[in-house]
Parts: sequence; structure tokens; C-alpha cells
Amino acid sequence: MFEVLFEHIDKKITLTKEEENKLTPFFIPKKYRKRQYVLQQGDICKYIAFVEKGMLRSFQVDDKGNEHVIQFAPEGWWIADNYSFLTGSPSSYDIDVLEDAEVLLITQTALEEMLQAIPVMERYMRILMQNSLISMQNRIACTLGSNAEERYQGVLKALPNIAQRVPQHMLASFLGITPETLSRVRRQLLKNS
Amino acid sequence: MGATFVVLNQRSNMMKTKQTIAIIGATGSMGTAIAKCLAQASYRLLLMGSDENKLQNLQDNIKQLNAAADADWLLCPIDASWEADIIILAVPYIAEKELAPKIAAVATGKIVISISNPITADFTGSLLPDHTSAGEELQQLLPHSKIIKTFNTTFAANFGQPVFAGNTADCFLAGNSDEALQQTAVLVEAVGFKPIITGDIKKSRTLENMQILLMQLGIKNHYNWRAGWKILHD
Ligand SMILES: NC(=O)c1ccc[n+]([C@@H]2O[C@H](COP(=O)([O-])OP(=O)(O)OC[C@H]3O[C@@H](n4cnc5c(N)ncnc54)[C@H](OP(=O)(O)O)[C@@H]3O)[C@@H](O)[C@H]2O)c1
Repeated sequence: MFEVLFEHIDKKITLTKEEENKLTPFFIPKKYRKRQYVLQQGDICKYIAFVEKGMLRSFQVDDKGNEHVIQFAPEGWWIADNYSFLTGSPSSYDIDVLEDAEVLLITQTALEEMLQAIPVMERYMRILMQNSLISMQNRIACTLGSNAEERYQGVLKALPNIAQRVPQHMLASFLGITPETLSRVRRQLLKNS
Repeated sequence: MGATFVVLNQRSNMMKTKQTIAIIGATGSMGTAIAKCLAQASYRLLLMGSDENKLQNLQDNIKQLNAAADADWLLCPIDASWEADIIILAVPYIAEKELAPKIAAVATGKIVISISNPITADFTGSLLPDHTSAGEELQQLLPHSKIIKTFNTTFAANFGQPVFAGNTADCFLAGNSDEALQQTAVLVEAVGFKPIITGDIKKSRTLENMQILLMQLGIKNHYNWRAGWKILHD
């Protein structure tokens, strides 16, 4: 139930067996089915979620009812509306389930208690935050500057099999391009390879 | 009294993300009564039992009561608890002990509702000594879950019609986590009772003995299960 999380942590810091045992009670293990909501826009995001299995995504719905995908979270990824989680204000995102999932949830209180109980986890959290900042900045730079092909290749680097796992229109939405443009880019890349 | 109702209502209306409630023992008297009432509210229900036909019938029944109800059934208490935000153990006291170690790992951090009354087979008293209760024992068995004692003072027969001589029956709650008590109070209200938070899980001793007394009085005075508790106050 915690295998992927421990692997993820192990890439960044070293936990003793005792610390691993101390860690697990801070998380709420939860299974979700495809299409279920983890968070709906307007609710306060009370948890950050680590995906052990399956896939979640966060998205925003605009005035016209169009979905804009913010993030895909397959196994080994963290996902939340950080702004809502940290400030307690209503979320502007929805988070739903793209593939049946096993998730570990942690509340803000549990997170604080966990960091007190296992201080080395502070370092892990700091690295997470740094990575999240980097990817956010990348995403902004990408949206402002890169062309469709560069964006697509960027996402493949971070999520190699994403194109096989999510519908084209969601991937296009994530990249901020039309599904037609995405098909064109994919055909082009196939031709070149 | 009025003020509590308003606050609880607002809170339950505000949450858009549906909570999933697993009812373990859903085809029993209490499990069925709780399921049918919760099906009217905005929860996702996971009905767990051992008999597929009974579970399917219950699910069909629920859909008849409310076509929009979100209810599914399954046979495994571990999977049901794993998928749930709130777990209701609608089972006898002895079965709570059998289930606790099975669901412990997937019930971490979750609300687990204990409705049991550890009454002797001849209805003469409690199976437990005065210094403990089924609620406290379950909290010990599931140290990482938030045990809430509730629905133990309400008879299955009165769900759906919890009003006696114009009074909505009270439904008492006990538990160690304030947040879990508040969340469960919303659920109790959705079922139709007036929630009254009594204190920490030790209050289960009183709550369990209250219902043992009400059962004894019911037999003596022929209440025919149409009886409940109500605190009268100004
Ligand atoms: N009836 C009332 O008015 C009332 C009022 C307040 C509190 N309570 C309390 O509510 C609880 C249930 O009472 P009830 O009247 O609903 O009894 P019931 O009709 O006999 O139902 C008990 C249920 O528990 C299930 N069960 C038994 N052992 C189990 C196990 N090891 N694992 C999973 N499920 C198990 C049974 O399922 P299977 O048949 O499929 O095995 C059955 O559906 C008791 O603790 C009782 O003290 C009852």
C-alpha cells in the first residue's frame, strides 16, 4: 500500500525502518474508481494526495464549460490544489480519477505532525516544493514560448506513456493546443522518427 | 437547538465532493435502515454484506426510493472500507472485534462508527464490566481510526420516522476527535435524528447502557420498538 511512496521518498532521502513505520499512520489510504471526484471546485482542498496506483488529474472549467487540464498524476506523483490546501480557501480546481486508483491522502494537521515526528521528512518536502516550483515555471515558460511540438515533447519527457493512457482531447487540453494540432504533431513526429 | 440545526445544515449543503460511506453488515436490520435513510442524502454508499441476492435487493430498493441515489454493493469488508471516507460497522459487538484487525490498515485516519450494544443474550445486562464499553474497545483495536459511537440508542424500526409525539428523537454521539464528531453529526442529521454530542469515547459506557435499559423497558412496557430518547429542555 505504501511501496511507491517509499520508493519515491527513497530517491530523495533515507528513512530507517522505524521511521517508515512511524510514517504510515499519518496517511489515509483510499481507493477510487474511474470517473470519481477526489475534489470538486468550490470545496476546500483538505488533502494532498500521493498516487500509489492508477491516475488522477486536476482541471479547471471555464465560463463556457470547457475543461482545461492542469496536471496528470499517475503513480508516484503528488496532486492537490496547493493554493486551497495551504490557504483554506475554496478550490478553483476539480480533481477526478482517470484510471481506478489507490491513493494516500494527508491532511494539513497530519502533515505538520508527521514533520514533527520525522524531521528528515522536512528535507523531502522541501525537495518536493522545489520540484513543483521548477515544473510550474517550466509550464508557464512553455505556454508562453514553446510551439506545439516542443510542448508535446516536454510532456513526454515527464510522463513517457501519457499518450497511451489518456484521451487525446485531454492531452491536447493539458498542452493548450487543439486536438487537431496534437494529431498533426504526432503524425509529424512519427514521420521523422 | 435551532442554531445547531442551521449550522449543520449549511455545512452539509456546502460540500460538493461526495463522501463515500461503507456500511458493513448492510443487509441487517440496522444496516438496511441506515442505508435507506442515507440514500436520500448526498452520499455515495457502499453496501457490504455476505449475501449477493439480499444486497442486490437492497440496492434495487434504494434506487426505488431515490432514483438519483449513488449506491453500490460488494462482498469484501476490506475493499469497502478502503474505498470509504466513513465506515459504519452495522454488526454485532462480537463481529466488531473480528472485523477490526481486517480493516485496520485501510481504516487509518477514517471515521469508524460503532453502533453496537453489548447486551447479554437474555437481555439482563451488559457483557462488559463498568469500566469499559464496546466503543472504547474498538478505539483500542483501531488506534489510528476515529471511532464514533452513535446510532446505538436508536432502534432500527424508527429510522425514517424518528418522531414521537411531535418530538424528533435524539441521537447521541461520543468520540475523541471533535472534527469527526462534527462530521458524523451532519450524517446523523441527514438520517433524520437530532444529533447530540456527549463527549469523548468513554461516554459510550453510558450510551450503551442507556439502550440496554431502553430495551429492557421496551420488553416490560410493550413499546414494540417504537421508543427513543429525548432530552427535554428550554
Ligand atoms: N436492531 C436495532 O434496533 C438496533 C438498535 C441499536 C443498535 N443496534 C446494534 O446494531 C448492530 C446490528 O444489529 P441488527 O439488529 O442490525 O442485527 P442483524 O439484523 O442481525 O444484522 C447484523 C448484520 O451483521 C452482519 N455480520 C455479522 N457478523 C459479521 C462479520 N463478522 N462480518 C461482517 N458482517 C457481519 C450480518 O451479515 P450476514 O447476515 O450477511 O452475515 C448482518 O447483516 C448490533 O451491534 C446491535 O447491538 C441494533
